Amino acid sequence: MMEETEPELSPAPSEQNSPSSSLSTSSSPSLSLPSTPCSTCGPHHTIIPPLVVINEGGAELNLVIDAEVAQRACHEVLQKVKLHGDGHHLHNRPDPETPALTTAVKPLKIQEEEDNPEGSAPGSVKSARRRQRHNPSKQSWLLRLFESKLFDVSMAISYLHNSKEPGVQAYIGNRLFSFPNEEVDFYLPQLLNMYIHMDEDVGDAIKPYVVHRCRQSISFSLQCAWLLGAYSSDMHISTQRHSLGTKLRKLILSDELRPAVPRARRDPLTLMSFCPVISPATGPGPPGGDHGLSPSKRTHQRSKSDATVSISLSSNLKRTASNPKVESSQDEDSSSSSDGLEFETGPPVRLAPQREFIKSLMGIGKRLATLPTKEQKTQRLISELSLLNHKLPARVWLPTAAFDHHVVRVPHTQAVVLNSKDKAPYLIYVEVLECENFETSSVPIRIPENRIRSTRSVENLPDCGMMAEQRAGSFSVVPNYDNDDEAWSVDDIGDLQVELPEVHTNSCDNISQFSVDSITSLESKEPVFIAAGDIRRRLSEQLAQAPTTFKRDPEDPSAVALKEPWEEKVRRIREGSPYGHLPQWRLLSVIVKCGDDLRQELLAFQVLQQLKSIWEQERVPLWIKPYEILVLSSDSGMIEPVMNAVSLHQVKKQSQLSLLDYFLQEHGAPTTEAFLSAQRNFVQSCAGYSLICYLLQVKDRHNGNILLDAEGHIIHIDFGFILSSSPKNLGFETSAFKLTTEFVDVMGGPDGDMFNYYKMLMLQGLIAAKKHMDRVLQIVEIMQQGSQLPCFHGSSTMRGLKERFHMSLTEEQLQVLINQLVDGSMRSLTTKLYDGFQYLTNGIM
Amino acid sequence: MSQMEKKAGLLRRTSSSKKPLKEKVVLMYDEIFSKEDPAKNNPRFWDELFLMKVNLEYLESKLESVDGEEVQRIQDNINSLFHHCIQALGEEHQIKVVNALQTLCALFRGVHQKNKSASGFDIINVLMGFDKAEQRMKDLMERLDSLLCGDGSESLKSLCLKLLLCLVTVTDNISQNTILEYVMINSIFEAILQILSDVSSRGQHGYDAVVLLALLVNYRKYESVNPYIVKLSIVDDEPTLDGMGMVVHQALTEYNRQYKDKEEENQGGFFSTLTSMVGSMFIADADEKLSVQTNEAILLALYEAVHLNRNFITVLAQSHPEIDIAATPATPTPTTPTTPLGTTPPSLDMMSNPELPLDPNLQTSNLLITFLKYASIVMQDTKDEHRLNSARLCLIILTCIAEDQYADAFLHDDNINFRVNLHKMPMRHRKKAVDKNIPSRPLVCAVLDLMVEFIVTHMMKDFPMDLYLRCVQIIHKLLCYQKKCRIRLHYTWRELWSALINLLKFLLSNETTLLAKHNIFHLALLVVNLFNMFITYGDTFLPTSNSYDELYYEIVRMHQVFDNLNCMVLRVSTNTGQWKEAASKVTHALVNVRAIINHFNPKIESYAAVNHISQLSEEQVLEVVRSNYDTLTLKLQDGLDQFERYSEQPKEAAFFKELVRSISLNVRKNVSLNTLSQDVLLKEFSTIS
Repeated sequence: MMEETEPELSPAPSEQNSPSSSLSTSSSPSLSLPSTPCSTCGPHHTIIPPLVVINEGGAELNLVIDAEVAQRACHEVLQKVKLHGDGHHLHNRPDPETPALTTAVKPLKIQEEEDNPEGSAPGSVKSARRRQRHNPSKQSWLLRLFESKLFDVSMAISYLHNSKEPGVQAYIGNRLFSFPNEEVDFYLPQLLNMYIHMDEDVGDAIKPYVVHRCRQSISFSLQCAWLLGAYSSDMHISTQRHSLGTKLRKLILSDELRPAVPRARRDPLTLMSFCPVISPATGPGPPGGDHGLSPSKRTHQRSKSDATVSISLSSNLKRTASNPKVESSQDEDSSSSSDGLEFETGPPVRLAPQREFIKSLMGIGKRLATLPTKEQKTQRLISELSLLNHKLPARVWLPTAAFDHHVVRVPHTQAVVLNSKDKAPYLIYVEVLECENFETSSVPIRIPENRIRSTRSVENLPDCGMMAEQRAGSFSVVPNYDNDDEAWSVDDIGDLQVELPEVHTNSCDNISQFSVDSITSLESKEPVFIAAGDIRRRLSEQLAQAPTTFKRDPEDPSAVALKEPWEEKVRRIREGSPYGHLPQWRLLSVIVKCGDDLRQELLAFQVLQQLKSIWEQERVPLWIKPYEILVLSSDSGMIEPVMNAVSLHQVKKQSQLSLLDYFLQEHGAPTTEAFLSAQRNFVQSCAGYSLICYLLQVKDRHNGNILLDAEGHIIHIDFGFILSSSPKNLGFETSAFKLTTEFVDVMGGPDGDMFNYYKMLMLQGLIAAKKHMDRVLQIVEIMQQGSQLPCFHGSSTMRGLKERFHMSLTEEQLQVLINQLVDGSMRSLTTKLYDGFQYLTNGIM
Repeated sequence: MSQMEKKAGLLRRTSSSKKPLKEKVVLMYDEIFSKEDPAKNNPRFWDELFLMKVNLEYLESKLESVDGEEVQRIQDNINSLFHHCIQALGEEHQIKVVNALQTLCALFRGVHQKNKSASGFDIINVLMGFDKAEQRMKDLMERLDSLLCGDGSESLKSLCLKLLLCLVTVTDNISQNTILEYVMINSIFEAILQILSDVSSRGQHGYDAVVLLALLVNYRKYESVNPYIVKLSIVDDEPTLDGMGMVVHQALTEYNRQYKDKEEENQGGFFSTLTSMVGSMFIADADEKLSVQTNEAILLALYEAVHLNRNFITVLAQSHPEIDIAATPATPTPTTPTTPLGTTPPSLDMMSNPELPLDPNLQTSNLLITFLKYASIVMQDTKDEHRLNSARLCLIILTCIAEDQYADAFLHDDNINFRVNLHKMPMRHRKKAVDKNIPSRPLVCAVLDLMVEFIVTHMMKDFPMDLYLRCVQIIHKLLCYQKKCRIRLHYTWRELWSALINLLKFLLSNETTLLAKHNIFHLALLVVNLFNMFITYGDTFLPTSNSYDELYYEIVRMHQVFDNLNCMVLRVSTNTGQWKEAASKVTHALVNVRAIINHFNPKIESYAAVNHISQLSEEQVLEVVRSNYDTLTLKLQDGLDQFERYSEQPKEAAFFKELVRSISLNVRKNVSLNTLSQDVLLKEFSTIS
């Protein structure tokens, strides 16, 4: 635990206010939490770790503090303690403004009492603890930081986690309201994990914010419910049932947290925005968005309305618990095939359509898993999705997408089953229509599948490969219609005569030109001669010209689908879709995983995302591609597929080439610009992922788990084995990261400039990461709480991670370290052994 | 006379099981057939009548036995009966409705039996009277419509459909059924659609509804504007079209299943080994056993949907697991047989099975696949007239499909792959294919396989020229699409080429016998033009450059056939005769094939001579072909990628007329057989009321 080192440091800032600080330290051993005996976390209570950080922060960063705001916030915290103080006035700083604020803080107390019955006795241990712990001067430092512009979500989360001071926690809970939604959203797993696994003070601090956001957004509600379910799953079943997390999840799923319309006008007051940052509104829709950023009167009523929220919450909790009907409807696991697939079940059930949608996707995955062959799985998938199509469009969306939309159609024939031995993950493409706000914008009307026929012209015929050189049609209809009912069906293939603009004018066009001209009769025309050699030549030329596609393999259906360039796929699907003509039409894709725990993936995503932004901030050109993860439960979820990428395994199997030769085939000769840029991309991504693999100890790095995209980047996927876990404990993969000679060859060999560039990038990346280490550690550390995930196995996970940042090393020493790591990985026998092992056991090349 | 006897016999047989005493209802019928107005003495006569169990046999035979003059006398009473039937349809009392429906059945049938030769107008006059006919029929159709669309008993709906089927098939030639004029004016199309769009009602009545629709569409389809044709062609409601597709799908699946069961029955045991040992001697017998009654009615419905409604094409590809999830009814279906008066409805357990079995062997299927399988069974044996008609209709449907752009798109879609187990005829010279190893391919491969299979299995004395023409045209249309859209299908074209060459060979060797009946030159021209497609446009749709070489190899290898064909057509075209022009067209078409043969043969011979090889291997010939392309000049032929579009009128009109006639007879037979057993119905309503 990192706090262990901190007691020595903590007294540092408390010089100026000796009386109170001494009091606080002396009384601390007697503290205990109301619910848990002091044995569990007692020792930590003596520490006030945030102060250390504050001190550092205060020294290094030029704090800009709004004095008035700071004062007011400070008072709130102080006042609260005072109220609970029962006359023991431990903080002796007389403040003229205090009396005026007393009434304002009162509601906060109400809220407290609502939420935890234990807190109802003011003179209880809890309040006593608060009283005793309070240290006004420290708080003021703290406040100065909190009020500073530099105080960001990351810091807020960190304080929330580390501070044992309820006042601080409550403050940060309020402070969350002032951050932009999307910034908080990034830390949602952390917030909720804290809510589930930490003590109630933290829960109380977080809850108002979560409830508020749930009211605002369906998407947020569901996200919360899913995460709460997933992160509660590691608890013992008996405690899980009564845990805060489970209760909140039920509350959300019972759909009680709908936007309270009559309270809409009062909603502004619920906002606690100290800095008048106007967070981007979530559209005009849900009342209580961000319209009330009036900084003048927020404090008082805010807490009041929060109190009412929590009142309604607690009553709802009771109701849900005692209502079997609600309970059963929440049972996510009893997802049967397609019963009641109606996503659009009217306004009263806000969350139902999306939940049904997700449930049916999961149901498909479960049923697919029972089928033995890939081929059967694929066929089944296609047919199940075609049924799903009947229920679309609906107010459903893909949570992995970055914009608001409604799903209108699943082009079922494009879906593929992915390679997996016993589960059945699958990839679907989803047609959506972008909209202002998916909660309020109206759901698009269904356009029948066949409607496309009236709008499609010959250029858009599906599978019309090689558009560029499609020559003018020599089709023509024998004008031989009868007057019978033929009139109703006209656009058949006989009518496909659209003159396409000639792009290539090679000899082959002459034929069609002639045949168009000479439709009349054979004898009346000069005979036209063609050379058989030309036909044969054109055939082989055109076959050669066709972009390299992978051959269809029933055992690996995804290879072809993934190899197809995304833009081309979008174009093709758009042309085949009845919704394709709409300007808001977009294509998304998602991998549906059923039977897999994606919580580690989510953790990895967060770390990657954090490192990415660190590197961006520090302007280090390392390239990594974090892909969105949606955790639906502890054994299901969705993954955002990486565009235009196939696995190295598929590359090698299909092309039968070495990686370098494949690069040459795809991008051209080594001196061409295309190749050089692909090579640069390769190096930058290799460097990025090498660092990631080293820092996170990513294992199971066989070629099936490393993707190569069309621009030459590699992308590591599958973070099933990170930190403390490694597959089967075979002792393979001891090297820091995967760096095969093939990789080095693509970089131009171990003596080339690009290879040096690679090492240099790694050094820069590590230095940057080191600088912002805390932002990374924090993500992991919070998630460790209460988790049974294999990546947290053992006790040294955090220490190990921290050590890999090598805080103590100088830049020169780091350079030596990097060189060692690279050399070690290059020489590593185990990498080769592991690839060989994978080839033998899983057929992965 | 003989018919009367038969009827009498029938009557005696049925009545023998009953009491010799006359039932009350019979007495009441007698009253109607007297001169007096039956209600005159008993004002509640009609009320009472519809409470009685109908005696269909008696009523029908009574109507038939009435002769010309008597008809005039009792016409008022019959009109009155008809009128009261219609009124009874609006009753709340379900028993009355049932009885009224059945009485109407008997009326329609009885009057028609009697007046086979009489004009439709006379019949209308007898039944409802000219002046009132319009109003009466309007009422009738409205009542039926509301019964069909209402929430009433399912059995009642079923009976309504039976009545309509009975009415529609009451004449042999549907177009002579003048009463249907009123059914055209007072459309029940919407009611039929509603039945098809609802899952549970589709399960119970879908079959009858589809057959009824198919028949109605064929009423005077070439002479007048049939509103059902117009309406069917513009339906674009997906659930309804899907529903129609499901009904057809189920019926065809049921047929395929029955066939397979019979086949398996036949295969097991000593007998089958014996037959295979002795040879084909018993194959005819076995075939007979295998023949399951074909279902042209449902096929006609499929044809009309595909032909008339362009939106229906999407339904063909609408795939679903073998057991349709969507069809799972929300409410459990009653366990009692729901179609007591059924024609021959397919077994319903498939449709109402609520459990989704996870049998891994079950293949996902769609209507098109089922149809192809069905076609492969039907086409095996075309000796029987029904099967010939079915086969022809199958090929016509395939023609329509091959002409449709959307259908072609999904036939060729590389992502929609299926294993289609087509049925192949057991033949002496080939082993029954091990059908487990068929690769999963785009659906068009299955269509081509089916065509190839037909081509190689029907070269017989009694040459089905018509079917062959359709077959070759279907292939041509598919090739045109591939050429147009540059789809390089990975198909073993060689099989097609050799099948086509064998066909030419057969035509040549049976020239005299065939020419007596058919214009073989037309077929030969189509076949040669298929080769011309490959030769001239191969670059646009062949999958590999090798396949173009193989085409030449195949032509050169079988040059004898083309040589002979050329000789034959030259001979015929130089003589004066009816085939002169047709034959000369073939001569022109053969230009490039001959050029290829004349170009490569000497090259191959000299290659053999130079290298002192007597027999060149395929690889060697291909090598010669590859190295000698450049000196070969071909003549561009026009119109290779043009085809005559399918049109029903006038070419197919006669076929459809006959087909509808035979379907009418079949439906009528089934309706009448089953209408007699109404016990179930009565049981149901006795508990209801």
